[in-house]
Amino acid sequence: MHILLVGLSYKSAPVELRERLAFQRGQLEDVFARLRHDVGLEEAAVLSTCNRVEIYGRASQLDGSVARLQQFFSRHGGVEESRLSPALYSCAQPQSVRHLFAVASGLESMVLGEAEIQQQVKLAYEHARLYGATGKVFNALFQRALNAAKAVRTHTGIGRGAVSVGTVAVELAGKIFDPLSRAVVVLVGAGKIGELTLRRLADRGVRDVRVVNRSLERAVDVASIYAARPVAYEQLGEQLLEADIVLTSTGAPGFILTRQQVEAAMRARHHRPLCLVDVGVPRNVEPSAGALENVYRFDIDDLQGVVAHAHQERQQAVAQSRRIIDEKVDRFLAWWRSECQGPSVESPAGESADQPPAGQDSTVETQQPTLR
Amino acid sequence: MIAVHVACSLLSYVAFLVAFVSGWLFLIQERQVRRKTLGALFHRLPSLATLDRLNFRSLGFGFALLSLGLLFGFVGMRVSFGRWWMPDPKLAVAVAVWCAYLLLWMVRLRSALRGRRVAILSILGFSLLLLTWWHTSYLLRSAHPYL
Repeated sequence: MHILLVGLSYKSAPVELRERLAFQRGQLEDVFARLRHDVGLEEAAVLSTCNRVEIYGRASQLDGSVARLQQFFSRHGGVEESRLSPALYSCAQPQSVRHLFAVASGLESMVLGEAEIQQQVKLAYEHARLYGATGKVFNALFQRALNAAKAVRTHTGIGRGAVSVGTVAVELAGKIFDPLSRAVVVLVGAGKIGELTLRRLADRGVRDVRVVNRSLERAVDVASIYAARPVAYEQLGEQLLEADIVLTSTGAPGFILTRQQVEAAMRARHHRPLCLVDVGVPRNVEPSAGALENVYRFDIDDLQGVVAHAHQERQQAVAQSRRIIDEKVDRFLAWWRSECQGPSVESPAGESADQPPAGQDSTVETQQPTLR
Repeated sequence: MIAVHVACSLLSYVAFLVAFVSGWLFLIQERQVRRKTLGALFHRLPSLATLDRLNFRSLGFGFALLSLGLLFGFVGMRVSFGRWWMPDPKLAVAVAVWCAYLLLWMVRLRSALRGRRVAILSILGFSLLLLTWWHTSYLLRSAHPYL
């Protein structure tokens, strides 16, 4: 009996290929039926996210299961096998099990340690269970993978810190204003990072958003996305009096907000706190404005510095996370051996699949032996 | 009369203590925010807005209670001793403290100062209060033997 994995991720395939192979929720019933009848899997689960598409399956024999899974992918995405096979990776236990545990823990994510993947793995499991594709082994496998992910997140720093400029800005603003959702946000300019930061703020429930742009037409465009109010550039001074958070993201050559302007605004605002998030390059806000009382100014370097630090901390947590995962994988495999692998079930080589000969990993096929 | 005087005075010190603590926490959290130190302390401490609000309210309560305490004290003195004022250092200090907090409260109320500066002033105010009470209680003879 074998636990197989065939799939592709952002590491092995570009988004054009990943999106063709992705599975939609509505297709799953049919997909699980075909995985059972056409591929011959006894249990299966499909993990389909924007960064990876993976099928986990349990097969009693290895004879061509992986090849059939590759064909299945090829037919599903309408991509020729010759084009697809360099992007696909495949393996069996223990690597497949270890990979699932690592994926669920966020160790394989594009943004190391991101939390969303845990939910996506849970959802993949729940869908598989809903369509009757899981049994004793996969119930245990996925529950233990999710349990391992929880342990990794609890006991290591893999998920700590903000890892995007937008998230850092939101975290900082959230410690200045309370509740953040009632803060008045003014976005100046239409730079990408500014918009991403605005999206993070909108996610935190910020409702009063104004968009200022030299081109009112562009302001209207951006404002329509966030149910915001477009404002003409000439009214920036007035907005400065009402705003709690000013996000500047323009490519203007000089400062659009000078210390003098901010100082005058602060007097008129009765020194109400003002957070200036300057993600423009070159910088849009005169740096010395940040030294003013009750003015909190962060530029792109400040925010990226925090992001880099968080990445570094997460990287340092990888080794500890791997140790936890190894321990959990070993426990699962021990359970699997004792519960499910009777003496009659043997790998083609006559050995248990999760006990490869010394110096050689357990692999499915010699052509594609290891996880890429 | 004296009981109300004592209760109001003691409660006002508690309120000023809260302002003192929230002032410190404000300064610590502001330092974290300005330095972009998103560590455990940053996450555990409340936001600057919350701390400023707590500081503002406790200063307000403290000042109101201190005023009531003084008022009842003076009325009590009038009833017991038939006079409104006694040449006592503690009494002078009490009035001085009241004036200091009145000034602080007015400044904060008019939003002339906010955040860090008010936090610092509330720390200084409470420190001064402790110092002067200790000074007048132990170093000078007073007809008013309690706090």
